[in-house]
Amino acid sequence: MKNLKVTTVILAMAFIGLTAISCKDAKKENTNEEGSQMEASHDNSDGHHDKEAMHDNSDGHHDEDSDSSTDHTRDIEANTQKNTATTPIIDAYIQIKNALTTDNKNEAAKGGTALVAAFSKFDMSNLTGETHKEYMEILESAKEHAEHIVKSPIDHQREHFEVLSTDINDLVALLGTEKTLYQDSCPMANNGKGAIWLSEVEEIKNPYMGIKMPTCGTIQKQIN
Amino acid sequence: MKVVKKIALVLLVAFVGIQFIPTERNQSDSVPSTDFMLVNNVPENIQKKLQVSCYDCHSNNTDYPWYNKVQPVAWYLEDHVEHGKEELNFNEWDSYSSRRKNSKLKSIISQIEDDEMPLKSYTLIHRDARLSDNEKKIVLDWVSKLKDSL
Repeated sequence: MKNLKVTTVILAMAFIGLTAISCKDAKKENTNEEGSQMEASHDNSDGHHDKEAMHDNSDGHHDEDSDSSTDHTRDIEANTQKNTATTPIIDAYIQIKNALTTDNKNEAAKGGTALVAAFSKFDMSNLTGETHKEYMEILESAKEHAEHIVKSPIDHQREHFEVLSTDINDLVALLGTEKTLYQDSCPMANNGKGAIWLSEVEEIKNPYMGIKMPTCGTIQKQIN
Repeated sequence: MKVVKKIALVLLVAFVGIQFIPTERNQSDSVPSTDFMLVNNVPENIQKKLQVSCYDCHSNNTDYPWYNKVQPVAWYLEDHVEHGKEELNFNEWDSYSSRRKNSKLKSIISQIEDDEMPLKSYTLIHRDARLSDNEKKIVLDWVSKLKDSL
């Protein structure tokens, strides 16, 4: 009987020890109320401002004004190659985007996992020189953001999605896509500095504002 | 009473025992040429602040106080340092691509703005690592300027 007790105590000790080792600081799940303030200051009365940027896209040419939010962004139209290899990556990105438009943290996390998987399956054996170097930089950054989207509360997911969007936009510009994509812009994201995202549909569905302001934003470019 | 004594004894033995389990110390004598301070022109006051508030977990060299040499505190700290360096290592700054630098600066700004860094569990003991509102502003202004210049 005594032995049993001693054993129990030792087991308990081991358990506490292991818990201490694996213990990580729980991330704060603070709900972001910023959006509601911003909504008040934003004139969204017409509800259709997103349509202003629509043009006849049949010729594939667009003459939108250049915007300040995409200083570091490559021109998404730089590569018109109909590349199918990038499709799984873009699909996973779109999955995250759509989850964020409906404030769905868990779905966004699933999209993050899918994106990491899509990147690791991507065959980069035929990329050479500068293209390979740039792909590696995009990969490194995008994977990191995807991993954070998997484990973060939604306001952080959106912060990582801002940079991820630039990465994926640059990836499309670098390697091309077979898909029809829209580069949309939200001037209120990124603390009012503006941010872009890519969408597979023409209709504006804002991943940064979510269900509070789903139609905020404009189309800047269309690819394919 | 016997049981209590036995438990106390086991605890003591376990406590002493775990002190002998080696922990890898995050310590290095040299600062690599890729260090954030060496490749950026960082004002002295900001250098000092970053060193005290960030470098313990985000560089190859932790300034260990005595209690962090005692287990299981040391394990707990090692875990933080390992994770912290994985996220951002100021010593390796210049080996990051400009895409990554940009994204790291953005994260630095947002973490400081939201008071998520330095960690509360860290500043609880390391009182000098706390950032006052004024210090926060000075650091944030400078980091934002650096980000815009990239």
